[in-house]
Amino acid sequence: MRRFAFPLLLLPVPLAAQVFTSPAPEKVSVTVYRAPDRSAKEAMELDWLQGYALITETRTVEIPAGESTLRFEGVAGGILPESAIVTGLPEGLSEKNQDADLLSPRALLSAATGRRVSIRRTDGTSGKAVEEEAILRSGPDGAAVLQTHAGFEALQCSGLNEDLFYQSVPAGLSAKPTLSVRVVSKAAARTTITLSYLANGFDWQANYVAELAPGGGSVDLFAWVTLANGDETSFPDAETQAVAGKINREAAGERLATADGDVRLRCWPAGRTHQVPEIEPPSPALPPPPMVVYAPVSAEMADDASEIVVTSSRVARQEELGDLKLYRIPQPVTVASNSQKQVTMLDRKRVPAILVYRSKVQYGDASDPRIVLKLRNRAQDGLGVPLPAGPVAIFQRAQGRPMLLGESHVEDKAIGEEVEIDVAGAPNVTVETDEDEIRDNVWKRTLTVRNANPWPVDFEAEFAPDGDIRRDRFDGHMVRRNGAMVWTAVVAANGTAVLGYRAQDVDD
Amino acid sequence: MRRSLALAALLVPAAASAQSAQGDVSVTIYTNDLALVQDVRPLTLPKSVTRQEFPDVSAQIRPETVRLSAADTEIVEQNFDYDLLSPAALMQKAVGQNITILRTNPATGVETREVAKVLAVNGGVVLQIGTRIEVLRDDGLPVRVIFDRVPPNLRARPTLSVTLDSARAGARPVTLSYLTPGLGWKADYVALFDETAGKIDVQGWITLSNSTGTTFTNADTVLVAGEVGGDSNQQQYRPGRATPPRGNQPGTESGSREQLGDFYLYPLKDRTTIANAQTKQVSFLDVSGATAAKAYEYRNDWLNALDQAQSAATVLKFSNAREGGVGDALPAGIVRVYMRDTRGQAQFVGESGIPHTPGGSSLALKTGEAFDVKVRPVVEKREKILPDEWERSVRYRITRSDGTSETADVAVQKEYWRTTMRYVVTNAKPQPVTVELIQGGLNRAWYWRDTRVPSESIVGTQISADERLWKVAVPANGETVLTVSFDTRY
Repeated sequence: MRRFAFPLLLLPVPLAAQVFTSPAPEKVSVTVYRAPDRSAKEAMELDWLQGYALITETRTVEIPAGESTLRFEGVAGGILPESAIVTGLPEGLSEKNQDADLLSPRALLSAATGRRVSIRRTDGTSGKAVEEEAILRSGPDGAAVLQTHAGFEALQCSGLNEDLFYQSVPAGLSAKPTLSVRVVSKAAARTTITLSYLANGFDWQANYVAELAPGGGSVDLFAWVTLANGDETSFPDAETQAVAGKINREAAGERLATADGDVRLRCWPAGRTHQVPEIEPPSPALPPPPMVVYAPVSAEMADDASEIVVTSSRVARQEELGDLKLYRIPQPVTVASNSQKQVTMLDRKRVPAILVYRSKVQYGDASDPRIVLKLRNRAQDGLGVPLPAGPVAIFQRAQGRPMLLGESHVEDKAIGEEVEIDVAGAPNVTVETDEDEIRDNVWKRTLTVRNANPWPVDFEAEFAPDGDIRRDRFDGHMVRRNGAMVWTAVVAANGTAVLGYRAQDVDD
Repeated sequence: MRRSLALAALLVPAAASAQSAQGDVSVTIYTNDLALVQDVRPLTLPKSVTRQEFPDVSAQIRPETVRLSAADTEIVEQNFDYDLLSPAALMQKAVGQNITILRTNPATGVETREVAKVLAVNGGVVLQIGTRIEVLRDDGLPVRVIFDRVPPNLRARPTLSVTLDSARAGARPVTLSYLTPGLGWKADYVALFDETAGKIDVQGWITLSNSTGTTFTNADTVLVAGEVGGDSNQQQYRPGRATPPRGNQPGTESGSREQLGDFYLYPLKDRTTIANAQTKQVSFLDVSGATAAKAYEYRNDWLNALDQAQSAATVLKFSNAREGGVGDALPAGIVRVYMRDTRGQAQFVGESGIPHTPGGSSLALKTGEAFDVKVRPVVEKREKILPDEWERSVRYRITRSDGTSETADVAVQKEYWRTTMRYVVTNAKPQPVTVELIQGGLNRAWYWRDTRVPSESIVGTQISADERLWKVAVPANGETVLTVSFDTRY
């Protein structure tokens, strides 16, 4: 009779309350958020995803009359229990619980303290097992002292093959951290509820592919939404979204530490004559091999298990969400555990763009020129859509195939902003600086740009603030941009361009 | 004889010991990882001095804070034993005593029983068997060691025991109280923001967590919104927080809840079991339709210029006043903000921590940064001010004791730097927005104080010696440029 009551004993609730379980959601929606501290140039680490997701599940449950406990199974392992919201219960709910006291070798040993267990000794040669009843007299911290018919003995110290077994699973232990709610209902009802929560272990980014037109002047821009789920739970046929923009998160505070499930048994000092230590006399020799039992390894990403699924048939749609941007994947997709998924976000042809060779001038020196791809995020320029942060790969066709020019990144860019992508260094365009002192603290400086390419290039020299040095009398085409003087010049194919200017120290 | 006693002990049914030894438990939980546990247990005491053990107290009990009271009883002494039963301790305590060793022949399985005296346990166990001296298991063969008894002060778990002197025999309630870390609580808020209506719905949940290692069964629980105790020199290190947005102001309304000194009390309605390793949430607040608004804020450091525009902070503003607000004091915790997407589903848009907040306070929470509203500060020019410009900047008024006064321009040879800042504020949203732009770093107490603002394209307000604020209105899909000159001593 008592045995039939066991399933109830598995839960840490008063026996009077009924317990029922909702095994899985019928419908699920996953909204993935980018890792808050990951910059645009940092790659996603698939086995250490620092972003998170909002998971919204629809479940149908049968609620009995009176007080009962409803357990939710199949939630994400990275759930933040304090963020859980349950709506749709007829009379609200009084209490939410997340139980993280897990069933483990240690929990079994801990719960058995002072109680009856069985010890089994197996003969190594004959395989004959002898079982004996015993009472466990010690706690779980590194020892198992048993009271047997013979007297008191320590487990795993004799050198025999010994193990313990238990009569039942202690009350209140679960296999995984489990979310449950306490429900009070006047009448039995079948109802559809919504459970939503934040969970760690997800991430996403935009991935851009830019292909430069052969003669320059425009670029074909393609972008993916790349989502990754590092959780142990898969979300089949989920409505899937990703949110772009910077979102404030607070330090999560102390997580409830789940005790390690392993048990390490130690014996008395077991030094033997041939193990006399050489230096420190009191150091005890190694005990006989301890019984080390590890708790089941939780959601660790196996590298070879991650698969890349490309579903490019449809394009993610962008919507507004307050001051953020939401990308909705138009058809339900399966967000599988430990996997990465890509959906098209953007595909624009012939977006006007220019390549500029840029150098910074400061303290009389010029940096090596870098190739910068400049485009304007405007509708009249063939773009005009929010561009969420992510890496950019820039290609150009040569010898009948696309060749990688460089890899870079782009920050969050709103509509109307200028987008500059640092492509690569430019060894064929060089800058040389020279100066002559005209009189005390006044110099004539020159900047010589040489182009070894068989085509003309757009060149820019940006004069960064230079302490007390004032620069004037430029003899080239100058513009003022963001508080700095900028020289712009077209350097002819295999040609040279020279800028002269005056520099003087004004700190006197 | 001994053997039969042991057998009797084995007959104890497992179910009987499964019951917690706790009595009527009341728990008072503070927000700084501290709880007061009161446990009233019915005990039957004889009329004599007896030692009583109290199992099932918190595994993290602070034994020095234990108080015990019972009618007609005096406390002789109180002990907290933490000498734990382990094979090593058992063997150490057996030095000089006899143990039984049971050897098993690995080939035949034949057992041989011998009595041995433990001479020493230093690195290994040295035994005397009859006249032989040997080291336990020196041959590596299996040997079972059987002890006759367990020394009385070796325990499975740290145990609180109290020696009581009772003046009469009989049952009576004994009240045990102690402090323990490992029980704590905070508040978690769910705020659903409806931007077009300018309203929020706020639900408050008390989140309490138990990592004491002990389950408190059927406890009468009160939560105290405050951090008690702790000497001032025991201040915990708290990592620095980013400057909170403007608009946070503490209020003066008293809450409707019971108070303990300055702290509000949040009793749980029903008795509840707080299981070990459990996070428990109980609802304490449910308000809908409080007035709320969104604002944008950008704070720039002194001489900060950026290559790329940066997003302004999105700030959610509401109050917890009774009029138009949430209407209750808010214990410290995290506010998670949600908004509905185009399909009506609530989506997470950011969170922010709040301190213990008295009623009537204004709150301004940074939830994130606006994708479409950006600010690009540029140091447009920085130059020394020429003396004639300096003369125009400063003026004295001298008032004499006879009431006449005189105004004079005085030229003093002091160097000033004029910094011209340009802030380009862009808005890619289809609605106009206003950004509160703050320039900080205007008062460097040990460098300069007398910062001046000779010109600004939008009239600003000096909110402190250090900060000046401009409300920059930006049209829909447009930009506004704010230009400001600062004269500083460096």
